[in-house]
Amino acid sequence: MNLVTQIKYLLKKEILLEWRSKYALNGILLYVVSTVFVCYLSFKVTPPTVWNALFWIILLFAAINAIAKSFMQESKGRLLYYYQIASPQAIIIAKIIYNILLMILMATVALVFYSIVFTNDVGDIPLYFLAVILGAISFSTVFTMISAIASKANNNGTLMAILSFPVIIPLLILIIKLSKNAMDGLDRSVSYKEIGVLCAINAIVIVISLLLFPYLWRD
Amino acid sequence: MMYKSWWKILASVLVLYTVVGGLLINVPTLPILHESIRNLYFHVPMWFSMIVIYTVSVVYSIKYLNSSNENHDLVAVESVNVGLIFGFVGLTSGMIWAKFTWGDYWPNDPKLNSAAIATLMYLAYVVLRSSIDEEQKRAKISAIYNIFAYPVMVVLLFVLPRLTDSLHPGNGGNPGFGTYDLDSNMRLVFYPAVIGWILISVWLMTIRYRIRILENKNNQIN
Amino acid sequence: MKKLGSFLIMMLMSVLTFAQDGKVEMADELRSSGKIYVVVTVMLLLFSAFIVYLFTIDKKLKKIEKGK
Repeated sequence: MNLVTQIKYLLKKEILLEWRSKYALNGILLYVVSTVFVCYLSFKVTPPTVWNALFWIILLFAAINAIAKSFMQESKGRLLYYYQIASPQAIIIAKIIYNILLMILMATVALVFYSIVFTNDVGDIPLYFLAVILGAISFSTVFTMISAIASKANNNGTLMAILSFPVIIPLLILIIKLSKNAMDGLDRSVSYKEIGVLCAINAIVIVISLLLFPYLWRD
Repeated sequence: MMYKSWWKILASVLVLYTVVGGLLINVPTLPILHESIRNLYFHVPMWFSMIVIYTVSVVYSIKYLNSSNENHDLVAVESVNVGLIFGFVGLTSGMIWAKFTWGDYWPNDPKLNSAAIATLMYLAYVVLRSSIDEEQKRAKISAIYNIFAYPVMVVLLFVLPRLTDSLHPGNGGNPGFGTYDLDSNMRLVFYPAVIGWILISVWLMTIRYRIRILENKNNQIN
Repeated sequence: MKKLGSFLIMMLMSVLTFAQDGKVEMADELRSSGKIYVVVTVMLLLFSAFIVYLFTIDKKLKKIEKGK
């Protein structure tokens, strides 16, 4: 089997497993919705900067919770089985793609619900949506690898948070800036720099994950 | 190399020279900074040493993944330990300098924030190591995290501050020290200071590394 | 950002006022009275002590390593 078909099979399996149980999906969606609601009840009205920051904080924690599961859920037997049939690159790419899909779905739902509950005018809605998509992709690329590392080390949630925060903060700074630009409705050419750097970091993170994951996998 | 002493003597001479030269050689007279511009000779080399020693750590982590040689892992850990010391010293010295020139211990400056986050990253590395008991597994997983985090740290320290306004020279429209006030007199002290402190940081790392090696030998005999 | 902006403006203004005076206060008296050499000596002593200490640790390590 070549890499692409392997990835396709693994991705199909992830989605099928998720579709059957719907546990993670429903759990995460409910998590996001209830967090948004809690924030609404405690803030009621927010100034734009807080609105933006709050949204990303909600997404950040939801993403950590969602993606932390991606390796911890797998049983030892199943991992051994993957080890025999697929290459490590295929596994990490499949996981990253699956997490990207999951995060985009989650972020979109969160954004829609958030903007219904909290009224706030966003100047440039397509650009804001692009920022959300880019954010979802960044979260999944970084957290997938970190969750693989954390799952090898005692599997606890605190470790996942400690390891991932310093790595995600630079990305988060850029994303928040980009989405703030979108909220203020600034000219799009202002944001090109941020988008470029974000894409570059994501590319670097994916390449490094591909290079490092085989070492992590071999055990 | 590690056991040679010529570079240790060179490091001492350079550092001692910068103490004398840094205090005595004329500096440009600038408002706000006044004499405190001399801090440049002592505060900035801390960052250079920190970055160099973290780079050494990553190089040895990569070497470890290829060789599974335990000693390479020891170099990587001890480099991080020394780098953390330099990071903390750099942060606190910067905070003191900032208080008297910019008015706040923690002015909202991207370089400061970046440096603090980079320090957090390596603290996380230390926590990760302490969470795994099995030695080879610990070495491998921490090496992987180290390599994974390093490029993000590079982006954090070198790219992000250039995207935003910064109080530090050389960022966001602020002219760099190089353009007008790092005159030839200052270069004469600044570059030796950087080289001297980098060598000192490597020296500290080798001392810690050798202690670790001895400890390991002792444990094996018992 | 706003804070930073106003800060930069303030810095610029102080630069301008200083430029008007045409004089930046440096520790000239410390230098002319020669007291600066006291500071240099003390710092030199501290740093040399630090370095000598490092060398002794280095030497001790070498001894232990040879002893094995």
